Amino acid sequence: MAECPPTATGVTRPALHRLRIRYTKLGRTRFVSARDLGAVFERSLRRAALPIAYSEGFTPHPKVSFPDALPVGTASTGEYAELTFTAPPDLEGDPARLSAALPEGMDVLIAVGVPEGTPKLARLLPAALWELAWPPVDAAELTPLLSRRAKALLAADRAEVTRHRPDGDRILDVRPALLAVVASTRRVPDADDRTVLRAVLRNDGPTVRPSDLVSALARGDVAPPPTIVRVVQGEVLPTGVRDALGGEVEPLVIDVDAEAA
Amino acid sequence: MLGAAPKAGVPPPPPAGRRGRFHAPGDAATEPASMWPVLEGLLASVQRPARYVGGEHNQVVRPWSAAETRWLLCYPDTYEVGQPNQGIQLLYEVLAAQPTALAERAYAPWVDLEEVMREHGLPTFSLETHRPLWAFDVFAVTLPHELGHTNLLTLLDLGGVALHGEQRAPEDPIVLVGGHAAFNPEPLAPFVDAVALGDGEEVTVEIDAVVRAFKQRVYADGGAPTPADRDELLEQLARIPGVYVPALYAPAYHADGRLRRTVPVQPGVPPVVAKRTVQDLESVPLPRRQLVPLTETVHERFSVEIFRGCTRGCRFCQAGMITRPVRERRGDTIRELVEQGVADTGYGEVGLLSLSSADHSQILPLAKGLADTYAGTTTSLSLPSTRVDAFTLGLADELARNGRRTGLTFAPEAGSERMRAVINKQVSEEDLLRTAETAFAQGWRHLKLYFMVGLPTETDEDVLAIAELAVRVLRLARRHGKGNRLTLSVAGFVPKPHTPFQWAVQDPPEELRRKLSLIRHAIKEHRAITVRTNDPEDGVIEGLLARGDRRVAAVVERAWQLGARFDGWQEQPTLPLWRQALADTGLELDWYVARERDLDEALPWDHLDTGLERSWLWEDWLDAQQAQSLEDCRFTGCYDCGVCPGLDLTHDLGVQPPGGAGHG
Ligand code: SF4
Repeated sequence: MAECPPTATGVTRPALHRLRIRYTKLGRTRFVSARDLGAVFERSLRRAALPIAYSEGFTPHPKVSFPDALPVGTASTGEYAELTFTAPPDLEGDPARLSAALPEGMDVLIAVGVPEGTPKLARLLPAALWELAWPPVDAAELTPLLSRRAKALLAADRAEVTRHRPDGDRILDVRPALLAVVASTRRVPDADDRTVLRAVLRNDGPTVRPSDLVSALARGDVAPPPTIVRVVQGEVLPTGVRDALGGEVEPLVIDVDAEAA
Repeated sequence: MLGAAPKAGVPPPPPAGRRGRFHAPGDAATEPASMWPVLEGLLASVQRPARYVGGEHNQVVRPWSAAETRWLLCYPDTYEVGQPNQGIQLLYEVLAAQPTALAERAYAPWVDLEEVMREHGLPTFSLETHRPLWAFDVFAVTLPHELGHTNLLTLLDLGGVALHGEQRAPEDPIVLVGGHAAFNPEPLAPFVDAVALGDGEEVTVEIDAVVRAFKQRVYADGGAPTPADRDELLEQLARIPGVYVPALYAPAYHADGRLRRTVPVQPGVPPVVAKRTVQDLESVPLPRRQLVPLTETVHERFSVEIFRGCTRGCRFCQAGMITRPVRERRGDTIRELVEQGVADTGYGEVGLLSLSSADHSQILPLAKGLADTYAGTTTSLSLPSTRVDAFTLGLADELARNGRRTGLTFAPEAGSERMRAVINKQVSEEDLLRTAETAFAQGWRHLKLYFMVGLPTETDEDVLAIAELAVRVLRLARRHGKGNRLTLSVAGFVPKPHTPFQWAVQDPPEELRRKLSLIRHAIKEHRAITVRTNDPEDGVIEGLLARGDRRVAAVVERAWQLGARFDGWQEQPTLPLWRQALADTGLELDWYVARERDLDEALPWDHLDTGLERSWLWEDWLDAQQAQSLEDCRFTGCYDCGVCPGLDLTHDLGVQPPGGAGHG
């Protein structure tokens, strides 16, 4: 246990230990809503007997925070959270203990301690790299088509799409949030090629979802992609996005055959 | 359209009668395909998809080929409602402990998913591996109340299993129901193959053994069951104590429509089926490895049943009547279950469950001990109790040590002393007011009081007494804080089988509405009192199904055909469909719900035995009408309701109270 500095009121509180993690949300857990995520983490941390910190007050909440919400049903290998403990959790470099307690499909990839003065987690996640993949049909036609449209989209100043919602349609401009978009053909060993779209969308500013991007590109003649994955979040580089915690760069262009936009 | 995936469909199931290879025991079986790949692609279009994915902590997955019997356990309501059910959790573990059995779970799909499933030919599936219902050997459905009956039909229909037992193929699942509403299964008789009455722990193992032996025989050497084999299996099941096979019994009616009797249609079938009771709860310290959901459910806690049965003798309470006598779990076992369960599940709340938890003989040391254990942690304790007295308040204080003193619940059930004597809810107004005053003095801010209207012999005076009591409590509350509040929850009473009120008239919705407005009117100046009521129409379907006979099954089927689903959900106002179904089948609602029965009339559940003597129930009904109350036999001695001698049981209170009250 670290030193317990007396507070202004003279009450001694244990020092808190913050940890940031990057984790996956795959398989069945991609259907866990943002609303339910807190309870899933709380119970997993308790099962792993990790010293999670709670807020004060009548209804203490575990100190687990998520910088943003992933749409229900979307998979991710680039989710981030900040966990606060009352004692060092000893997870850095060995996040397996937490992974084991989390539901199948949720795995902690990276865990790092947070020194004092580090900027807020959300500030380290200015953008996300998304991947949209179509089933292995029409790749020879679909990739060049999307590639042409992606270039046109990047060249345009505005790109308005309609988002359909139960409470009424909303028109929004996807262009300001779009930093890069590339259509590629992914060669799958012993299987048919697939069309894959990778895009970098800003996290700050008005929310533009990958589904909005599809609306901007599909124009009624391309089926919605069956899988959407948030690959990673972090700093935007010309070649891709650098993971905010691990530092690895996830490239925008995934295949030698890809046409850079 | 470019990039459109070929429509992922589900291969149609082989026709009933040709599915034997999926049922064969062990590795002789063909494993049915998982529906997950198709379901996964469809979940984006439905509300709350997490309720269909499974993957919870503590789920048990066994290979299809490793099992000789395969059970699908079901709660016929949404996942959020059904997941916390202790009965399912318990049987799940009982079956997991059988090395040759496999058990998975299913819940009712919400109407949006049902539509999607029909469109894509997706069958009722298990949560663990998303395998189709038709491939399982036993479809075991718990019926905690009557409002899941139409959902049961949906699950069968989607699951590729004929609605009517007599139309099922020899290899089809045995449709087995249990739970409190199974104590009158007649409105479901054509749809179910077997009914398990009473505690499920032991009978489940016995049913499993019978099904296993049956399968070993009929599937030997690549064989498959014949219709005669299925009949034989049903007869074998009917020989297990506590198992009722409706197809082996027939009701006979008088010319005026009243039931004459229900009798076996072939020799060797017991004329009366008695419920099963686990005498020693210590023998089943379960559930231990409770499932932890990935999405919010109605009860988010680790629950331990601290005792079963209740002999307070509330005359409206079916649960109390059908679960006698009282059997307590020992304090040490409870502690051990709690401590292990909290660590294993990660839940932050513990529920000490029973019909009236403050009545456990060791509740105070138990609650104190647990409160000490979790003092200063974020783990909280809760204890549902309907008692209204100083002792219960003391307990609530003990349990609230870790947290809030915001809301406290008491259930006087009726407003006047006379009415409380009629229903045998033993609490005096003086006690109630004193307890309420103490609660507010100790810092509780909000009291919830539960009442019923529509009780037998009720007058407007009795109804108004609810409002008067509430105003008196509010006055006390205000003495201890301007912001203190009161909530009245008032429900319409529905008479239930196997209770002294089984002969009573149920108030029609118009009458309930009138009574509720009397209450609202009487308290309308008191803003600090909130009144919560159900829709008075809610009780109509429940009442029809609770006391319906076998003819009502046609109404259930018709209502379901007309679209009735999730009866009792606000979102699903199905009563008009039921009225239509009654008209279509020529049955009269009031004949079932608003008619007082007399002693001579046979009741549709007379051949199902809870141990209660019919003559005792009748005497208790007469006493009720005279406002004669009755003490708890646990504390004051046996009054011969019939259960203990009839079923060879005794109260089990751990240590026997001095004076040796009750049977035991
Ligand atoms: S038989 Fe006697 S002791 Fe047993 S439950 Fe009935 S009244 Fe109570």
